[in-house]
Amino acid sequence: MGRRSWVGAGLGAALVGAVGVGLLVAPAGAAAAPPLPPVSPEDLVSSVMTARPGAFAGEVDVDNALGLPAVPGVPQLANGTSTIRVWSGGEGRGRVAIPSGDSERTLVSDGTTRWSYDSRDRTATRAPAGGGRGGPPGDAGAQDPTAAATQAVATLRQSSTVTVDGTAEVAGRAAYQLVLTPLPTERTLLREVRVAVDAETRQPLELTVLAQGSGEPALQVGFSQITYGPQDPALFTFTPPPGTTVRGAPGPDGQHRDGQRPGGDGQRPTRVGDGWDTVLIGRAPQPQQGQQRPDGAPDLSTLGTPVSGPWGAGRVITTAVATVIVTDDGRIAAGAVPQQVLTEALAR
Amino acid sequence: MTTVEQARTTAPFGRLAAAEVRWVLRRPRTLVLFALLALVPVAIGVGIALTGGPGGGDRDGPGLVAAVAGNGLVLPIAALSLALALLLPLTVATAAADALAGEAAHSTLRGLLLAPVGRTRLVAMKGVGVLTVAVVAVLAVAVVGVVTGWIVVGGPSGTMITLSGTTLGLGEALGRVALVAGWTIVQLLAVAAVALAVSAFTEHPLVVLAAVLGGLIVFGVLAAIPSLEWLQPLLLTSGWGAGTDALRDPLPLDGLASSTLRALVYLVLGAAVTVWRMRRRDG
Repeated sequence: MGRRSWVGAGLGAALVGAVGVGLLVAPAGAAAAPPLPPVSPEDLVSSVMTARPGAFAGEVDVDNALGLPAVPGVPQLANGTSTIRVWSGGEGRGRVAIPSGDSERTLVSDGTTRWSYDSRDRTATRAPAGGGRGGPPGDAGAQDPTAAATQAVATLRQSSTVTVDGTAEVAGRAAYQLVLTPLPTERTLLREVRVAVDAETRQPLELTVLAQGSGEPALQVGFSQITYGPQDPALFTFTPPPGTTVRGAPGPDGQHRDGQRPGGDGQRPTRVGDGWDTVLIGRAPQPQQGQQRPDGAPDLSTLGTPVSGPWGAGRVITTAVATVIVTDDGRIAAGAVPQQVLTEALAR
Repeated sequence: MTTVEQARTTAPFGRLAAAEVRWVLRRPRTLVLFALLALVPVAIGVGIALTGGPGGGDRDGPGLVAAVAGNGLVLPIAALSLALALLLPLTVATAAADALAGEAAHSTLRGLLLAPVGRTRLVAMKGVGVLTVAVVAVLAVAVVGVVTGWIVVGGPSGTMITLSGTTLGLGEALGRVALVAGWTIVQLLAVAAVALAVSAFTEHPLVVLAAVLGGLIVFGVLAAIPSLEWLQPLLLTSGWGAGTDALRDPLPLDGLASSTLRALVYLVLGAAVTVWRMRRRDG
């Protein structure tokens, strides 16, 4: 072995290192917009509304820049990125795995029963499945792009300009970009909501929420990888493993929401306004004497900054896309609107 | 004629490697480290068996150790991921420090360099010694972990409960343990290659230990700084949480694959630097 071959070997090693580092660091890289036949927004929206979500398996990346205050016990809400694994068997059957560090939350729906399993305390919660909601279990509501995007399209249709803004490639699939922009009359913090719709299956693949005054998305929920096709039926059944605490369903109308929204004890929130500047006013659950806060419910009394006005006094929590006011007399007003709209709604 | 000369000037690699392995495994400090490593799963298992798990089943369990309670086959995986943080890298770093810097400190490296053994073969021989230490160390933790988990912690009749709430049979559970063990060995080899590279540059074994453990700590600090998030893909340690993925069902391979790729990059670079330096070293 001469010296020259050593120089070659050294160069080879350096090359391996460079390629390896490149592989590790390089992002997926934005692909060119795939050519697709033009489609009118109406057709696209309606095809999304009518499309039956079939069977698929995928990984969903959640990029959260909502600027929510840190709530102890609910780390998923804080800014950052996380990956969720989703399987759907169609007909209301689904499985969602939300890994976090050394634990995992698993949501399984077999079409009639919903299970939620938390590996940290090894508890399984059983609930009857909600009526006729397709796709993965509704528990994943905010995080599953199928349900989230379909819902957003349906509600925002009246008060927005709906356009199809070109095409994009999401998770290796050609997709239409459906863009919802609030009409100029709407007083909202949101600038734009983009939904990437699979050109073939018409399933929403990615939801991007852009706020006023920021170029970066406030929230991006989208598949990083998706495979359509029948899934192993065993994925959609759940048997509580030995040593698990099994809890039954919560109260009859207790809209089980994993404690993220403590249900207002049967009282539905009132809506003020419509469209993008809708304000929801509800009543905060009163902490009953001798009873602890429900497990996992955030303690709102320490968040936000104090405000007061003709409507009373309370604390305001501001995020990139929404504002919430919790008044001292226990009312909660929330909306994707500036603080002023909230105080006007509270003053009514 | 040339064949005869070659037969005289090169020793068979197998014999060299066997001699090195015997030499490494006979060192008391290596044996003490193995014993310490084997104690890790025993300590966790006995602790859990006596107290019924951290926090008595409350949700504040520190990660994987909480998952071991009543679920013995998780013990080897939990023990491996705990030991990978510091103890296992310490073990391979010790072996790598002894391999070159230690020999230099005792002035025995000169003899090896003068011996009729090619420099590359010398490095390969030393590498085999360190590899053996890494494999034996990981196997010690894994096997003792399985046995302890089986006997002391017990579990639902030879099955493993995954973090996803599914139950795996014995064969698949042992397969997951083997997967984590193999993945841990690759990560350790990356550490060992870097340690050998440092070892090739110095004649003080302590420098190697300090460099490797200091490097691990620096990596941990860098990973904790949010504004340095872009560094994460470069840090060897940032993939070390992926061992937990073996406890999820269905098994996600992304994290395991990317951390293995990262380890292989470190391995190739470390080995290349080691060989390059040893070709030029003269004592």
